[in-house]
Amino acid sequence: MRVRGHRSRIYLAFVAIVAMAAVFAAACGGDDDDGGSTAGFSDAGYKTAGLDKARVVTIDSGAAIKIGISSALSGDVKGLGVPIADSAEVAGDGVTIKGFKIEWVREDDLCTPEGGPAAADRLIKAKIVAAVGPICSGGTRASLAAFDKEGITHISPSATSGDLTSPTRAEGPYVTFFRVPVLNADEAAAQAKFIRETLKLKKAFVVNDTDDYGKDLAASFQTSFKAQGGEIVGTPEGYEKKTTDFKAIITKIKAAKPDVVYLAGFYAEATPFLQQLRADPDTKALVFMGGDGVKNDELLTGAKDAAEGAYLALPGGQGSQFAAYKSKYAAKYKGDAETVTFGAEAYDAATAILKALEKVAVEKSGKLEIDLKKLNEEIKKSNFEGASGVIKFESNGNRAGAIVRFFQVKGGKYVELPAK
Amino acid sequence: MTPLFLASTEVWLDQLVNGLTTGSIYALIALGYTMVYGVLQLINFAHGEVFMLGSFAGYGTLVALGGNDLSGGMVAVALILAFLAAGGASLGTAVAVERVAYRPLRNAPRLAPLISAIGVSVLLSHLVDDGFLNGGAKFYPQIFPDGDIELGPLQVTYLQLFLMGSSLAMMGVLYWIVQQTKTGRAIRAVAESRDNAALMGVNVNRTIVVTFALGAVLAGFAGVLYGLFFSSIRGSMGFLPGVKAFTAAVLGGIGSIPGAVVGGYFLGLTETVGRELLNEIPGVNLPNQWKDVIAFALLVLVLIFRPTGIFGQKESKRA
Repeated sequence: MRVRGHRSRIYLAFVAIVAMAAVFAAACGGDDDDGGSTAGFSDAGYKTAGLDKARVVTIDSGAAIKIGISSALSGDVKGLGVPIADSAEVAGDGVTIKGFKIEWVREDDLCTPEGGPAAADRLIKAKIVAAVGPICSGGTRASLAAFDKEGITHISPSATSGDLTSPTRAEGPYVTFFRVPVLNADEAAAQAKFIRETLKLKKAFVVNDTDDYGKDLAASFQTSFKAQGGEIVGTPEGYEKKTTDFKAIITKIKAAKPDVVYLAGFYAEATPFLQQLRADPDTKALVFMGGDGVKNDELLTGAKDAAEGAYLALPGGQGSQFAAYKSKYAAKYKGDAETVTFGAEAYDAATAILKALEKVAVEKSGKLEIDLKKLNEEIKKSNFEGASGVIKFESNGNRAGAIVRFFQVKGGKYVELPAK
Repeated sequence: MTPLFLASTEVWLDQLVNGLTTGSIYALIALGYTMVYGVLQLINFAHGEVFMLGSFAGYGTLVALGGNDLSGGMVAVALILAFLAAGGASLGTAVAVERVAYRPLRNAPRLAPLISAIGVSVLLSHLVDDGFLNGGAKFYPQIFPDGDIELGPLQVTYLQLFLMGSSLAMMGVLYWIVQQTKTGRAIRAVAESRDNAALMGVNVNRTIVVTFALGAVLAGFAGVLYGLFFSSIRGSMGFLPGVKAFTAAVLGGIGSIPGAVVGGYFLGLTETVGRELLNEIPGVNLPNQWKDVIAFALLVLVLIFRPTGIFGQKESKRA
């Protein structure tokens, strides 16, 4: 009896450990994002969207032109989604197209893969001619086909996942999908260029958060850095969120003797990482580069001296229309546009649709005719200065000429470095 | 001549020091697990939170005394006060948890106190994380004197030396208390048999409280060392070191004090040196995120071949 009792206790302990370990492993799991190819729109793609020939929508006299907004209007992401929808709407304030008013149709996509297609369906039934959204990558991925089938062009202000513009289908990217945000890959490419050309350094050591963002950014950086003639030294080292012990990673950094250490992650872990990096005499002066997840005021207050000299990249900029957006937003929603994440991008997405409508809408005996094929073509040709910089699209619907700004910590502050 | 190993001597020695420092913290926490298990056969899952609260008490003391502006002799004074505050806070927490969450369940089925322990653990970590910090982290003042000692390829910072040295000293004091004092004899007696100890005039409840208190002081001490060394602290900081220390206690043989110490160092070294060893195999190049896989795989192996752990006690010594 005694032996059995003792054994069962040990097994209980063992089961407890395995259970804890399983929770831990599940928490840090995640699937790899496929960066995908950079193939552009194809003729076959236009055909599936029904945009290989004219597809005319007629608006009766006195009716309004309906533009959809697919955003998270309830749930966890509401705080992000509602200001994005508001920002898109203010772009249409006072705008009429050939005497026809604009009507915004908002549908809640919940920022989920389930909510996206449902919202797309409701928007299509409401007879929209184009849409802003969806706002999240998962919802967007699930709605691409629904919009595409109806030939409805939609522009996401905020879906950043790499594979959205390189879906796994023979026809290539969906011709009806465009997006405004700067992608992880663009941020990483700008960082690689900055290290190679501005800092003139060759050997980089990569450290990354093991979540989707960190892995995607780190993988993109390695590709770009090698393409620019740089060399990745050592094995890229990953860490889970809330890690505080970076000593073993720093040992590997010391052994690899890099010119620069690149961290793809967030400030909460970058803070102890920098403190431990700077505490070691061998890595005290090593150049450090981080991304948008690291550039946060908390880094400055937490890491103090250890943050000095660090380089940080921040995607996105402000274009000449930002002031107009800001004042319209403040007037209508009593908020500060500076604090709205992806607000300028939403304003620009809506503006791109309105500008294209202005060009393609034709008045015929009191009615307004809009050819969805021409609308799609005009949006693709967008070229204007918006609230988030110049809006132009690449041949697969991604934003062209992504802006990434660089900062360095000097005297406990982020100092923006002049653009090259 | 080709070198014997792929990794350089510097890397080996560095990882050795890294393993010993992390291992010291695991060992300090593991002692609390193993002692409570020894007397109560209870896995005190709230022990990680006792460690966390100690770390916050130390942080509060250091910040109140001037934080990053401390210098010279004041640093030593502040550190001593921080350790005292951390030990006190951890002790208070552990004693309160024992009184509120464990003692009423002393004669309940075995699983009840285990669930109660998990409940207290979740409660405390979320109370700090969501109640006070809003999910953010606090950062320990970086006041420990910079600098290091170099002996050829071996390089150890003052902080690492202090961490390893003071941990060993604390463990030595604990060992002396358990082996040489009357209180220690009472603890050992209760661990052997609670009923027999009571018959011999040992105040069982008091002894159990003392056991919790001793483990808690070590955990609080570890909390301050952790903060000084790794800098960032948060409400959930106790979870992973707690699980690792518990693992260390089981590795060493739960209930055994030398086992907890050896298990702690063994686990710390496995995570760092163990990975380097595996990387010596041609074609293998494991990044940092594999360290937990290695550590837990090792645990499974040890338990398969030696279910009682490295220092597992003989059946006759148990209740």
